[in-house]
Amino acid sequence: MDDQAPPNPALLPAGLRDLLPPDAETEAAGVEAAMAVFAGHAYRRVKPPLLEFEESFVGGSGAAVAEQSFRIMDPDSHRMMVLRADMTPQIARIAATRLAAHPRPLRLSYAGQCVRVRGGGPGTDRQVPQAGIELIGADSAAADAEVMLVAVEALAALGLQRPSLDLTLPTLVPALLENAGMDAATQRILSRALDRKDAAEVARHGAAMAPLLTDLLLAAGPAAPALEALRRANLPATCRDLAGRLADVVGLVQRAAPRLRVTIDPLEFRGFRYHTGIALTLFAPGRHEELGRGGRYFSTDGEPATGITLYADAVLRAAIPRTERPTVFVPAGSDLAVAQTLRAAGFATLGGLDAVTDNTEEARRLRCSHVLVAGEPVPVVNHPSSAADTETDN
Amino acid sequence: MTAPFPQTAFAPDPEAEDALILVLPKGRILGECGPVLARAGVAPAADYLDDDSRRLRFPTNDPKLDVVRVRPFDVATFVAYGAAQIGICGADVLMEFDYPEIYAPLDLGIGACRVSVAEPAGAASEDSRQWSTVRVATKYPNIARRHFAARGVHAEVVHLNGAMELAPGLGLSRLIVDLVATGGTLKANGLHETEVIAHVTSRLIVNRTALKTKPEQIGAWIARFRAAVGS
Repeated sequence: MDDQAPPNPALLPAGLRDLLPPDAETEAAGVEAAMAVFAGHAYRRVKPPLLEFEESFVGGSGAAVAEQSFRIMDPDSHRMMVLRADMTPQIARIAATRLAAHPRPLRLSYAGQCVRVRGGGPGTDRQVPQAGIELIGADSAAADAEVMLVAVEALAALGLQRPSLDLTLPTLVPALLENAGMDAATQRILSRALDRKDAAEVARHGAAMAPLLTDLLLAAGPAAPALEALRRANLPATCRDLAGRLADVVGLVQRAAPRLRVTIDPLEFRGFRYHTGIALTLFAPGRHEELGRGGRYFSTDGEPATGITLYADAVLRAAIPRTERPTVFVPAGSDLAVAQTLRAAGFATLGGLDAVTDNTEEARRLRCSHVLVAGEPVPVVNHPSSAADTETDN
Repeated sequence: MTAPFPQTAFAPDPEAEDALILVLPKGRILGECGPVLARAGVAPAADYLDDDSRRLRFPTNDPKLDVVRVRPFDVATFVAYGAAQIGICGADVLMEFDYPEIYAPLDLGIGACRVSVAEPAGAASEDSRQWSTVRVATKYPNIARRHFAARGVHAEVVHLNGAMELAPGLGLSRLIVDLVATGGTLKANGLHETEVIAHVTSRLIVNRTALKTKPEQIGAWIARFRAAVGS
């Protein structure tokens, strides 16, 4: 092995990346813009740590992400710690412990980085910046609709005006299969076939359930016909309540956001498996990645809760690229008060450290958009930053 | 950073979408796709069946649908990554790759064959339950590993892309796991089929995100193909 070339210092482990200018700034600003919308709806911010004890993380809703979590041993306590793969279990822990005495419903928001053992799909990142909200202690259609509408408003604040909201009922398939009295092996085969929408396998193994399952499988799509298919379907009582709640939520969401595209996939049940009611995924048309996910779950101690997490990186890849702040080259020895005025007007000022012979040329070399001439910002013609950055940094 | 994606999230008119891509497998199945495509009303440019054509992407009679042809194993990859929204793909390939991003909503009933285990016809009969490990030549490493793991045997996979049938005779492996249509190739190489892992046919597959974000468009194509296979 020692005849191998030394590793290239630029190489990062799979699924991890450096964010360069302007993307790192875009991500931070985007997260703050979303957090501002959350705060505007009185979702107050908490900041849990990156690491916590395995038992408390995995014990609650974190069980669903246990296999996605990196673990390390705490040299101090000799207990296992988990590097968070998702922040929702941490918020649930905070709500049930430190904020147990706070009045319900409790509205909390959070933003932070999560790390997963594997990415969420082909070619996806292992480090995911999350920004989200949780509404804890309320079990109603109004609560479900509120988090969806706040999330859609946050996307709009980032310039994503046409997201698409896909609603699912992750507990419907298990309840239907359980109710039909199927043995575990058949349930496993059917669950898998339903997950992949493999109609042929569903027909083959569904027995008496096959027509109902096929009907609901084909109903995945725009909200109105899907709700109609659920109404028509002969569902057991518990599932009927769930379908009724879904219809109420769709009604509330469409009344508040009539132009929002809402689709329903009644038989989907993938994702982190802690959801106990309506779950949702946000997409942008023409994009292959999810912008966010959320849904109803039981918080620590069985408290009803719902929430949504936006994946800041995916959201910002789908959003309009921010226009970069104009940067003025301020030659060494210029009046600092002028630079301050320019910054107040929205420019960035790049101060020359030494005197140079040609200020315009120096401004161009340092990729400034403007150069300060006689106290005024003058645009630099053909400055390379715009062309070079858009071509290489995306 | 990642390569740029088209910024279509802001297209002013939601109906002004790019053409959908239907990806077809080159080779054996392509001929069998013809009648299904015709019944579904898809007429690609005539040279799509021509193996010598250098084109890879073909327009169809529908301006909103283009056809591409790739190797059978790559069909699933194109659809999983969203490079194509719909495709026709053998169930063997779906079993091997197991992409969660792929939905397989329709059995087209074409390309029927099976994924099977085969061994030299004269091989001494052994009790395979006593094996700890077995060397298998295959182009389906995941299927082979899963199949033998389920019976407590570790499959040491020799990953080949073709001519699997040679492997046992030349001492490369004890068994092969391969796609069998008639069994003629096995017989000609002194092998016999000992076990069928799965019967497979070709499926209409769609990308999950495409179905979520363009349910009307993709749903209409699924319906057309469903009508075309008469189920």
